[in-house]
Formats: sequence, C-alpha cells, structure tokens
Amino acid sequence: MVHAVTACAEVLSAMGTSFAMTRNGGPLEPLLASSPGAAELDELQFTVGEGPSVDAIANGAPVLEADLAAPGAGRRWPAFSSAGSERGTHGAFAFPVGVGAAKVGVLTIYRQQAGLLEPDQVRDGLIFADAVLVLALDERHGMNADLDEVIEAAFTARRAEVHQAAGWVAAQHGIHVTDALARLRAHAYTSGLPLHQVAADVMAGRLRLEFDRDNPSPTGTFDPKDEGPRDANMEQEDE
Amino acid sequence: MSVSDRRVREVFIELSDTLVDEFDIIEFLERLAERCSELLGVSACGILLADHHGVLNLVAASTEGARLVELVQLQNLEGPCLEVFSTGRPVQRADLRAAGTPWPRFTQAALATGFLSVQAVPMRLRDSVLGAVNLFGEDVGPLDDETITLAQALADAATIGIVHQRALAHHEIVTEQLQTALNSRILIEQAKGFLSHSLGRSVDESFAIMRSYARSNNRRLTDVATDIVEGRITLTA
Repeated sequence: MVHAVTACAEVLSAMGTSFAMTRNGGPLEPLLASSPGAAELDELQFTVGEGPSVDAIANGAPVLEADLAAPGAGRRWPAFSSAGSERGTHGAFAFPVGVGAAKVGVLTIYRQQAGLLEPDQVRDGLIFADAVLVLALDERHGMNADLDEVIEAAFTARRAEVHQAAGWVAAQHGIHVTDALARLRAHAYTSGLPLHQVAADVMAGRLRLEFDRDNPSPTGTFDPKDEGPRDANMEQEDE
Repeated sequence: MSVSDRRVREVFIELSDTLVDEFDIIEFLERLAERCSELLGVSACGILLADHHGVLNLVAASTEGARLVELVQLQNLEGPCLEVFSTGRPVQRADLRAAGTPWPRFTQAALATGFLSVQAVPMRLRDSVLGAVNLFGEDVGPLDDETITLAQALADAATIGIVHQRALAHHEIVTEQLQTALNSRILIEQAKGFLSHSLGRSVDESFAIMRSYARSNNRRLTDVATDIVEGRITLTA
C-alpha cells in the first residue's frame, strides 16, 4: 500500500500523499505517508479535528482545496489552514477511500503550489483511492493482489450485486459492511471465483460464508465497533 | 404527445422542488426515471452515469425489468446507452425484433423482458457526456420529435440534479458530484442487501420498504440507508 501512496504523490506531483484509516467511519488515524511533511499535516488535521481529510470522510465525497492560504479555506478550517500554509503547503486534496457505508479511510494529496487539480488529475486521485481501497480490504486477510488484480477489482467494484451481498452478509453475521466486503473478496480470492459470482451465490442462498470456527453461528447482536479481532482467526475452509 | 402540457409542467415543478430542500440524489433520479416513463409514454426508464474510469453504472431504474436489461447492457458492454455515451447523440431502435441489431445480447435480454423498442438520450454537460437515459417501450414504433425533445429536457434535468448547487465552471466539481451520486447508489445497494436478509424479502421489496420509510418519515433516502447498514434503525416489513 505504501507503494500506491508513494506512486500517487509522484503522479500528481505532490509534496506528499498520505493514507489515514478509519474504522467504519469513526475517527481517522494516520497510517502512512509518502513524506514526513505529509505525515505531519495528517497528524495536524487529526489533532485539531478539522481539515479536508476530516471533511472528506464526513461527507463521503472528495474535498478539493486549491489554496489553504485563501480566505475560504481559512473560514472552513481556521487552525489547519494557517498551519498548513505556514508550512508551505497550499493545495490539499482529500479522496475518501471506500464504497457506500464501507469506509476505510482517506487518501490526501498535499501540494506546495496553489491551484486546483486538473480534471485528469482528479480522475487519477479517484483511481488511486480505488486501488488503496482494494489493498486495504485485502490486507485484512493477508492477501496481496498484484497490480492487474487491483485494477480489475477497482473496475468491477461497482457492480450492484456485490454491494447487495455485502449488506446481506453484514446483516447475516452482525458485522460491519466493510468487513463483509473484505470477506467476500477473501472468499473470491481463495476460491478462485469472480467476486460477482460469489456475490450472486450468497444472494441466491447457494453459499453461506462461515467466518468463525469457534462460533459458527454468530449471534445477531450488532455492534460495528465490537468486531475486528475476529479477522485474526479468519476462516480457512475456503482454501 | 401522450400527456398534457399541464402534467409536464407539474413534473418539472416537482423535480425543481426536490432540488431545493433535503436533496437526495438517488431519490431524485429514481423519481425522474418514474416520471420519464409516465410523461414519455414508455414502459420503463433507466439512468446510467459514467464513473472516473469512463465506465457506465446504473444509478436508477423505474422497473425491475429495466434494471435487469441495463445490467445486461453494462456487463456485455453493448447497447444503446454505450453508443450514446461514446457518440453523444440520441439513439433509437423502433423495433427490436428487426434484423441486424447492433447489440445482440442487449436485444435478446430486452425482448425476453417484454420490451419491443428502445431509445437512449445523452446526459450532457457542455462538451462532455456524463451518462445516458434509456427508455424502453412495450410497443413497436419510434417516438415522435416532440417526445424526444421532452426526453432530452428530462435528461438535462437529471444532469442538473447531479451537478446542482455547484458552480459549473469546474470540471473537477462535476467529477466530485458524479462520484457522490455513484457512491450513494452503492450505499443503497448495501442497505437493500442488508434489509433483504433481515426482513427475508427480495431486494426489490426491501428497496420499496426503504423508500416508503424515507418518504413517510420525511428523511433522505441515503440517510435512511446509512442508518440501516449501521444498525441504527430496524425496519419492519
């Protein structure tokens, strides 16, 4: 994943790029950055609790700020914008990493120069965010997709049945939709079936994913904050 | 034309009302798809939007049949909307049974669903095409010019819905708005799957239940979908 974040910085001629994680849309935690400057700005946003990345995750939409020194940015993020521009960073562009309610974090691009990204660069940012999503989901289950697979996954990620199946599995097992999506992907990966086929099988009742051998029928209690450690003893039977 | 000018006016007023308060992009597009069918005298309507990969995605469909045919179109990468998206011009096929269809798999799926004719108009913003509106008829025959013009006006209304409240000067903002619309659609699909499991109903019944809950509680559809997926509300069938 660090390669994707570094490549993103290079492609978008940025001072630095960072990826901060959220657990199911909760507070962001800086995870990795392509440069110390980007890491510092990420830390700063999460310390003061404001900034483009914070807004991007809250709104579920990209936040594109051409100049942190401009009055608009000053009004929106009084503490962060002045700190950012004092450090010589002007452009800040935050792309949510996630699909629907499955939010894993935010990819932020910091640039020294002021000015908006070109349309092609916005597209590149979105594509990197898609790639980081796939990498972040798969990392939970120790999968290391190669670049072709990441690109393929990013293209097919929007198929409706995949997301219906993620919602279905989330309700069935009382887990968050992020984890349901990661587990669908893990099943597809280990079984060698295309993701949409796994999704169709789940929705048709032909496939029931079992996640926890110690507790094969998880109870219906639903607390998104409560799960996660279960990832560690992820099912093996798919192999 | 099959409907009165008065009804056309009412629909545009209704659509512009949705743009003002508590706007919800998916509810807006779903409603637009339904109104398209009604005003244009067609059986069903689907709305497709391009993502940042340049790939079309289904964002709204007035009937389950239309939804299935759209998915066939997207999965096989052939059909009227893909053509409209690449050329930027409307496409019409007045009789799908006629020989020489340019889209054999799409045509087969459409006929199997009971559609005999199809039209598609572009969703344009200046020089770029954001997506397409697909119209399906259970009767054979072309739409007249006046109806096509109205179809284009409704497609333009869909475009305005997507880019609304934002300065249209920046293309990157359009990309952002498209992203929001597509992401909202995914959220709805997740909530449909979630509800479908918890209520033991089909995904389409679940969607209907979710929409009627949002309407009767005067809430945005995407907010309701978020609450469902996050386990904050429990709907009953």
